[in-house]
Amino acid sequence: MSVQDDLETVEWDVSEDAHITVDNEQCITCEDKPCLHLCPAECFDYQEDQEGGIYFAYEPCVECGACMVFCANDPDKGAVSWSKAEGGKGVEFDFG
Amino acid sequence: MTDVSFDVVVVGAGRAGVAAAYKLADEGFEVALVERAKQPGMKNVTGGVLYGSILDDLVPEFPEEAPLERHVVEHNIKLLHGDAEVSIGYRDLELREEPNYTLMLGKFDRWFVDRAVDQGVTFLSETAVRDVTQEESRAVVHTDREDGDIACDVVIGADGVNTTVGRKTGIQRTMRNEDMALSVKKVIDVGRETIDQRFNLDSDEGAAYIYTGFPEGAPTIGYFIYTFDEYISVGAVGGLETLRWLGDEGYGETGTPLYSLLEDFMELDTVRPYVQGDAVEEYQGILVPEHSYDTLPDRQDRRVALVGDAAGLVLNKGYTFRGLDYGIKSGLVAAEAAVKCAEDGDWDAFGRRYDTSLEDSYVLQDMKQHRHLPKFLKNERMYDAYPGIATETLRGMYSAETDASGLTWRQAYRAFRRSDAGFLDLLKDGYRGLRSL
Ligand SMILES: Cc1cc2nc3c(=O)[nH]c(=O)nc-3n(C[C@H](O)[C@H](O)[C@H](O)COP(=O)(O)OP(=O)(O)OC[C@H]3O[C@@H](n4cnc5c(N)ncnc54)[C@H](O)[C@@H]3O)c2cc1C
Ligand code: SF4
Ligand code: SF4
Repeated sequence: MSVQDDLETVEWDVSEDAHITVDNEQCITCEDKPCLHLCPAECFDYQEDQEGGIYFAYEPCVECGACMVFCANDPDKGAVSWSKAEGGKGVEFDFG
Repeated sequence: MTDVSFDVVVVGAGRAGVAAAYKLADEGFEVALVERAKQPGMKNVTGGVLYGSILDDLVPEFPEEAPLERHVVEHNIKLLHGDAEVSIGYRDLELREEPNYTLMLGKFDRWFVDRAVDQGVTFLSETAVRDVTQEESRAVVHTDREDGDIACDVVIGADGVNTTVGRKTGIQRTMRNEDMALSVKKVIDVGRETIDQRFNLDSDEGAAYIYTGFPEGAPTIGYFIYTFDEYISVGAVGGLETLRWLGDEGYGETGTPLYSLLEDFMELDTVRPYVQGDAVEEYQGILVPEHSYDTLPDRQDRRVALVGDAAGLVLNKGYTFRGLDYGIKSGLVAAEAAVKCAEDGDWDAFGRRYDTSLEDSYVLQDMKQHRHLPKFLKNERMYDAYPGIATETLRGMYSAETDASGLTWRQAYRAFRRSDAGFLDLLKDGYRGLRSL
């Protein structure tokens, strides 16, 4: 099982507006890029041709809040702008 | 000016918020309960056990009619060390008298909100709160609905670990890696009978398993297995700061994804028999506050009070997680503070009154008593040297190969001498452990 298989079990009502955005310019100086291993939904992907090497997709986000803490709140990083998905949108868990 | 107004607005329909709203409606208040999800529980994640009888007095239908899963009659603590596992299992008929149940928030939160609505609470779903402001004689909750401002006397922020209310009002300080643990979890469809057999349980009985020591020496990382009616949940929890640096799988050759650790954990010989099953039904991820009493963030400002996870009210005791009942209790304490303010009209005293009563409640008394525990649980020896000593001692006791001349305590002493832990460490840790329990 990979986390991508696990993510197949999750449902979303995807909003047209991104609730999280990434300012790639900040990623250029971020050396360890912890988003690549700390995001539990692999929303951050390393892509050479992207500015700072980061491609971000908000659609599969499970809304854990980790990237707000390890990136948005870190004065040395700060590429992430974090907010909650609009009412009725985003991840929908069945079990909890 | 906003046209819509209530006495109290509760933000977030987790158990903390619903308990507060329920109680206030019961007292005759006009209460709005604002929730971003389409249905209660859809955004919420827990591990599994609601401890205590905190809802008995509030909700007459609890526990008989509540969608509870299994009555927990067995607790297991497992220390992993290489290929070995040392476990302490506790099963007791008396646990049958303890009101501890596993539950799943999807079902439970929906049921609880329905009971609150019966009580007279106005439930607004699919509505995300964006900000809360305070004016001279009222507070205003700003939502993402068109014309969605709601005026009220006081606001209860029950919006969970990534609290919008706490952040936007500036009540809560900025959270850093050291303040938070990440958790990922899988719900697996195993079937009732297989669960009964696999975990040695009778029909409605449940078991809880907590693991540490994998990977060897990694502080703050733990795992759990809980049993439900038809499902089990298996999950991993680890401090963000540990996960950032542990191992070498990250881009900067530091760090490990928590889902990889969970995968590896589930493949351990000692774990696989419990968790195998074809169908992962759901994968989830969420942050868990990791404060001690001394590092808890602020939780009130005049007409706004934060309750539950929004106030960081979770305690990882190492052998259990407490947060579900702490949340409910803090919600009830906030409701009582509002009742007092309505009596004397001093709404500006709401936050302060809540804070004072919470300090006297069992939630903060508990956290205070365990104030050294979070630090104790960050001690690497707990995840490395000590499971190692326990394993070697038991190996000596049960192996036919070791010379049988030594007494057990001698073997324990030899295992201890071979470990990296010093005698002084052992004394210090023993003292700290006793003090924090
Ligand atoms: C893996 C794991 C295992 C755990 N195990 C246990 C255990 O065994 N026992 C135990 O007692 N505790 C356990 N806990 C802790 C417990 O789950 C939490 O402490 C508890 O769920 C917190 O409840 P709450 O009501 O404060 O918040 P939540 O349940 O998070 O509810 C917050 C609500 O607010 C809503 N919301 C959020 N933002 C907004 C907004 N801006 N506008 C409108 N609505 C909003 C959310 O959608 C949600 O419904 C565990 C936690 C985790 C993660
Ligand atoms: S952690 Fe933040 S700043 Fe660093 S690479 Fe990832 S998104 Fe960019
Ligand atoms: S909130 Fe969590 S799941 Fe969503 S992008 Fe950030 S780290 Fe990934």
